[in-house]
Amino acid sequence: MQLFKRFVLVAAFITVTYADKQRDIMLPDLSIKLLDGKQVRLSVLLEEGPLLVSFWATWCAPCKKEMIFLEEFHQKYNENSFRVLAISTDSPKSMSKVKSYIRAKKHTFLVGIDPNQDIAKKMNALLMPTTLILNKDRKVSWYHQGFIPGDEKEIEAQIRAVLDLDQEKAGE
Amino acid sequence: MSKYALIWAIAIVSAQVSFTGNTETRIGESSNGFYYNENLINTNLQYGAFTNWIQLEYSDPPELGRRINGVRKLRLEYENGPVTLKFGDLYEIWGRGLVLNSVDDQPIDRDTGIRGISALYTTEFFTGQFITGRADISQSTIYALDYNTRTHNYHLNYNLYGLAMNQQFGNHEFGASFLQSLEQHPVNTFPVDTLEVKNQLTSINYSVTQPSFDFYTEYIMNQSLTFSENRWERYKDGRGLYSNLNLYLKLFSLNLEYINYHFGDFDPFSRWNMVDNYGYYQPYQNPPIAMHIHENVLMNRISHQTDFNNEVGFKAEFMGSLAENIEFLAIFAQSNRTHTWLMNEDYTWQKQEQLSFFPSFDPAAMPFKDFYGELTFNLLQNNLYLKLGYADSKDITDLLQNTLTDTSQTLTYSIASAKTFPLNISYTLGNGWSVDAKLELQWLQKGYWWFEKRNNVVVADSLMSIFLDDEGKRVDHEKNSFISLSIGKSPKWSVTLTTDQASIKEEFGDKESILNPLEKLLGVDQEKNWVNVEFVYHLTSSMRLSLMYGSLKGGLLCTNGVCRIIEPFDDGFKLGLTTVF
Repeated sequence: MQLFKRFVLVAAFITVTYADKQRDIMLPDLSIKLLDGKQVRLSVLLEEGPLLVSFWATWCAPCKKEMIFLEEFHQKYNENSFRVLAISTDSPKSMSKVKSYIRAKKHTFLVGIDPNQDIAKKMNALLMPTTLILNKDRKVSWYHQGFIPGDEKEIEAQIRAVLDLDQEKAGE
Repeated sequence: MSKYALIWAIAIVSAQVSFTGNTETRIGESSNGFYYNENLINTNLQYGAFTNWIQLEYSDPPELGRRINGVRKLRLEYENGPVTLKFGDLYEIWGRGLVLNSVDDQPIDRDTGIRGISALYTTEFFTGQFITGRADISQSTIYALDYNTRTHNYHLNYNLYGLAMNQQFGNHEFGASFLQSLEQHPVNTFPVDTLEVKNQLTSINYSVTQPSFDFYTEYIMNQSLTFSENRWERYKDGRGLYSNLNLYLKLFSLNLEYINYHFGDFDPFSRWNMVDNYGYYQPYQNPPIAMHIHENVLMNRISHQTDFNNEVGFKAEFMGSLAENIEFLAIFAQSNRTHTWLMNEDYTWQKQEQLSFFPSFDPAAMPFKDFYGELTFNLLQNNLYLKLGYADSKDITDLLQNTLTDTSQTLTYSIASAKTFPLNISYTLGNGWSVDAKLELQWLQKGYWWFEKRNNVVVADSLMSIFLDDEGKRVDHEKNSFISLSIGKSPKWSVTLTTDQASIKEEFGDKESILNPLEKLLGVDQEKNWVNVEFVYHLTSSMRLSLMYGSLKGGLLCTNGVCRIIEPFDDGFKLGLTTVF
C-alpha cells in the first residue's frame, strides 16, 4: 500500500508538473521510414516548415475520418511550407494494405511506417489517432488524442496558430 | 571543488537532455467481483546519441496478466551514423514477421519481447541486424494446469540469436535472415519435465517496387532438434511462404495476399495443443494473416483464429472511388488447412493427400471464408459521413468426425457463420458539436453440422444449432445488435451510450448477470443486454479522462489473428486517465 501511495504521488506530481507544458517539449531527432522505403530524419522534414504528425492504422475508423481533413489541410497550407506526415502503426499483418489504401484514397501527404510502434512510443502516441503539431525547432506545439467529428476545426486553428496566419491577417 | 564540478556537469547534462513521457491509469470494478488497478509510466530520455526508455508499472492486479510492481521494460539505445545499438527490451520485426516479430500486445496480454542486445547497421541501400537475448513468453492454454481467463498458465523461455540482412538494387530488394533459439519446453508429464528444443529459422525475401505495382515474397524454412542422450537430433522440418502483390490502377487499387504455412500437421483434436507439440511455429514469429481485420464489434467477436502451424489462404482487397465523395471496398478471404483429415477404423485421424496451393472449401480441411463490402459517403462538405457495410463469413472451427467406408460416410464438424450489417453515420453541427451513431446487426449461426450418406443416399445433412430460446427450444440463429450513440463537443468531451444485445441468453461460467440501473431505465432484459455509458473529457490537450459505467459483454477478443477469451464486465465503473508530459 505504501508503494501504491508513493506511485500515485509520483504520477500526480509528474502530471501536474508537466502535463500542460507540452509546448516546451522538444522531440528527439527521430529517423522515420517512409512508405517508399527511404529513411528520413525529423529535422530534415522540418527544414521546410511545421509538420503535423498523425498516428493511424488501417483498422482504425476514427483515423480514417481524420485523414480526410488532414489531406485537405496538407493541400491548403502547402504554400505556407506546412506538411502532414501520417505514420501508420500497422503491424506486418496489415502492413501490405497501407500503400494500397493511401493510393486508393489519393492521399498526397507524407506517409511513414512504424510497425513495431517504436516512433509512436517516443512521440507518446498512446491512442489511435494521436495528432501532434511540431514547429521548426522540433518542439510540440499541440498534442491531441482521439478524433471526434468537429476536431478538424481545432486542428485547423492549431495549424494556423503555428503558421502565425491569423496574426498576419490581423496585422494586415 | 568536486561539488562545483558536479553541479556544472548536471547543468550541462540537463541543458542537453530531452525528456518526455506519459502515464496511463486504468481502474475498474464490477459488481461481480472483477477488479483491476493498472498504472504505467513511460519515460523517454535523450542525451546526445543516447536514448533511454523506461516503463514502470504498478498493477494490483492488472486487467489481464500477472501483477507487476516496478520496472516493467527498460531499453538503452545508442545511435551514431549508420550504427544503432540497443540494450534491454527489444521489439523487432524482420521482413513481414515470418522469422521475428516480437510484440507487446497489451489488450490480450501477449508479450513476446526479447531482453538482450541488438546491433543495427543501416545505409541507404543496406541493412544488417544482429540480435541476441532471452525471451520469456507466457500463454494461455487448456492443455496445461490452472487455465483461467485472466492470467497465463503456460510459460516458455528461449535463448536466441540471429542475423538479418537486406540489400537494395534499384527498385529491387533482397534479404535473408537466420534465427536460432534454445527453448526450455515444459511438457505434460508427471512429474513435470522440461525438454530442450533447438529451433532454427532461415528465410529469404525479395521485393520490387514500381509505380503501378509492388510485390513482396518471403520463404521460411524451420528445423527443430531435440536434445537426448547427450546429442542434438533432428526432430521436425517446416516451411512457410508469404506473398503480397499490390496493383495501383487509375481509379482503384488491388491488394492480394497469399499465405502457405506448413510448420506442422496436427490432427483436428490436438492442433491447439502447444504443450505436447513442440518445435513448430514459434510464438516470437507472428507472420501475416490472410484475412480482413474487421473494424466492427460483432464481426471481430467471431474472428477466425489463424492456425500458424498449418494454413493456406489468400485475401483479395479491392478499393477505390465510385465518384468524388463515394468510396468502395470489397474484400474476399479464404483459407483452410493444407490437408484434409479422415478417421480410420480405429477412429484415429489420418492426414489425406496434399491439397493444392490454393484453398478449397472441403469441410474436412476446416476452411474459413469471409466477404466484406463497404460503401463510404462524405457529403455536405465533409460534414456528413456515412458508411454502409455487409459481411458474410463462414468458419469451420473443428472437425469432429470424418469416417468413410465403401458404402457410407459420416462427417461432423462445428461451424460458425454470420451475416452482419454495420452502419455508421456521423454529422458535424456548428460550433464543434457532433453526433455519431453506429448500428450493427448480425444473424449468427453456430452449431454442429452432421452429414451422413449410406449406400449413396444422403440420410442427414443439417445443422444442430447450439442456441436455445427461453423455452429451451433449439433455434437456427442468434440475432445480435450493437448500437452506439454519441454526442460530442470538440475538442473537449463526448458521451456515448452503447447497447449490446443478443436474442439468446448467453452464459459465461457460473457468473450471474446483474441488472444495472441503465438496463432498468431502458427496460431491457439484463441477461441478453449489456448497456453502458462512457464519458470522455480532455482536461487539457495532453490529458484525457474517460469514465465508463455499465456492463460490457465478454467473449473472444482478437488482435491480428490471435484471440483470447475476455470475461464480461457486469455493472461497474471503468476509469482511464492518460497524460503526456
